[in-house]
Amino acid sequence: MASGMYRLVYYSRNHIAHNEATFGSHLEEILEKSRINNQRDEITGALLFNAGCFAQVLEGPLDKVEAAFERIQQDERHGNVSLLALDPIDRRSFPNWAMGFIGTSDIHAKRFAGIGLSSGFDPSRLSGDEIHALLRDLAIEEEAA
Amino acid sequence: MNVATPFPQITQAHPAGIPSAEQILELLPRPVLVVGSDGLVTYANTASMTSLAAVVGSEMHDLFPGCALNLATMTGAPSSLLVSRDSENFDAAIAALGAGQFLIDLRPSLHAQCADKPSGLDELTGLTKRNALLACLSSALCTGPASSVAVHCLDLDRFKMINDTLGHAVGDLLLKKVADRLTAACHKDDIVARIGGDEFVVMQRHVEEEGAAETLASRIVDLIGRTYVIHGHTVNIGVSVGVAIGKDAVQARDLLRNGDLALYEAKKAGRGRYSMFKNGMDALLFARREMEIDLRRALALKQFKLNYQPFINVTSNRVDGFEALLRWEHPVKGNIPPLSFISLAEENGLIVKIGEWVMRTACVEAMSWPGEMIVAVNVSPLQFKADTLLDTVATALKRSGLPAHRLEIEITEGALLDDTDNVIQTLNSLRELGVKISMDDFGTGYSSLSYLQKFPFNKIKIDRSFVASDDADSEAILRSIAGLGASLGMAITAEGVETAEQLSRIRGERCTHVQGYLTGRPMGIDQIPAFLAQNDVE
Repeated sequence: MASGMYRLVYYSRNHIAHNEATFGSHLEEILEKSRINNQRDEITGALLFNAGCFAQVLEGPLDKVEAAFERIQQDERHGNVSLLALDPIDRRSFPNWAMGFIGTSDIHAKRFAGIGLSSGFDPSRLSGDEIHALLRDLAIEEEAA
Repeated sequence: MNVATPFPQITQAHPAGIPSAEQILELLPRPVLVVGSDGLVTYANTASMTSLAAVVGSEMHDLFPGCALNLATMTGAPSSLLVSRDSENFDAAIAALGAGQFLIDLRPSLHAQCADKPSGLDELTGLTKRNALLACLSSALCTGPASSVAVHCLDLDRFKMINDTLGHAVGDLLLKKVADRLTAACHKDDIVARIGGDEFVVMQRHVEEEGAAETLASRIVDLIGRTYVIHGHTVNIGVSVGVAIGKDAVQARDLLRNGDLALYEAKKAGRGRYSMFKNGMDALLFARREMEIDLRRALALKQFKLNYQPFINVTSNRVDGFEALLRWEHPVKGNIPPLSFISLAEENGLIVKIGEWVMRTACVEAMSWPGEMIVAVNVSPLQFKADTLLDTVATALKRSGLPAHRLEIEITEGALLDDTDNVIQTLNSLRELGVKISMDDFGTGYSSLSYLQKFPFNKIKIDRSFVASDDADSEAILRSIAGLGASLGMAITAEGVETAEQLSRIRGERCTHVQGYLTGRPMGIDQIPAFLAQNDVE
């Protein structure tokens, strides 16, 4: 099926134990796998996480994005997945990122503070557009650094 | 057909006190058949009747469909595998009896043939099909300790709606994704089967550990309930799961039946959840089924009757009319209150027939009332869905001769929840007939003001709970609804008025009517003249 470019945005609740070592290794595994799959599938995007949740933007051909999202849905390391946006796009926001990862470095801590990281950053209060914009800004910052 | 046909080969006399060979064969717990070379059964022992439904005259290819039978070449072979209509596997030993007759001795096979043969797979999803599942389940129950197997019976919620709105292509892809997710959620030794359109069964092994079955069931509910994206459509469905563990039943069929009973409970509890089979569920279901059978007969046997409760106009202090209330006088169980059977009648659709009877009867009986007295009839949301309501009402009016303005139809908000536009259309058509429409039980459901805006009800009936409590909040709500109704030009009935104190309070508000024990209990049609006569005097 020929499919145009789409952007998908979701957030979900983290089910991994709040132990730093376990969490770190899980996260690495998630990123590693998704980078391999995404390169093959021409998917780009970014993943944002903190102890409580994940937020992710996926962009690419619709069928590939759907397949990637289905893999994500079958992953039991997170739950309460909310699909925030699924829209056709003209061009990618993360052209160079097979899966950018935005963690909680110092720079970001400040930014998160603005949206309430101290009480646990809560993307459930953000719209798909807001999460997309947030991730895009963070990515630009990361690339510039 | 006669099962106990004399066995042709055993005709010798035998010593008294020792059972005959034939008796022994009849008591043998496993099936034994004698079959002619044409494949027709000429003898079947009792066990073969109970486990294969075989009788004299049965055909082998009916008893073991799909099994190639060459009796001559199979004779003397150690054993051949035969699979019955119920997918039970038998090791068959065949001996020639001469004269073109063959003896077939069937032992339940322990090495059941499992799901891996290609014909056992569902074309769309690649999952196991019903028969292969049954075979695996039987084999697992035979070989292992029964408590190590659980079945999860699944039914997708809202699948039909997706199929209807987004088309079968999307529906099929959705089923594939469901199959994928189920497979992902299960252990590789488990078996995932699709046994119907949107019905799946998971056979879970190794459930010795406490809670293992519950864990998988809740994982299935979580995973299947997650959003799907198909062809750019966001699709949300849910799943209801019924779980039964091997120790509760011996036979594969019984285990699946228990799973289905639990599934029924899960659906009844609101879907999107799992429920474990418990002993007693079958008794509950049996009672329910019995009630359903009784309910189906009740109409024909004229066990229903209508009682009437008056509603009083607070300005004139006169009876304006009566609300018809359904009563079921069961010959054995006595009076069954509507609360106990209406939900069942709605579930199985009988409510439409019952509703028609109520409408017809109420119109006929109201004809005997003096003046312009109104009869109010409750209509279930299901009657709107049935699409025959308008016809039912028009016919009831015509046949009884009751003028349309003397009929008031009471609906609850539930009727307006789904398919609102169609319901409003029906309400408008009813109004064109001249029938009055009132909103019942207002204040207990969504109490959405938009419904009041969408349709100009003649009357709002305020739920009894706001009348019964005398706290400031209830009073404020009562006053507000009454005020709202008055400004919209709707009459207001306060329901459940039981004391003089409540009545005087209601007079102070802008209620136009009251209904309750204080102003008149529900009564039989024959009591109405006396009630009206007495009311006139007062």
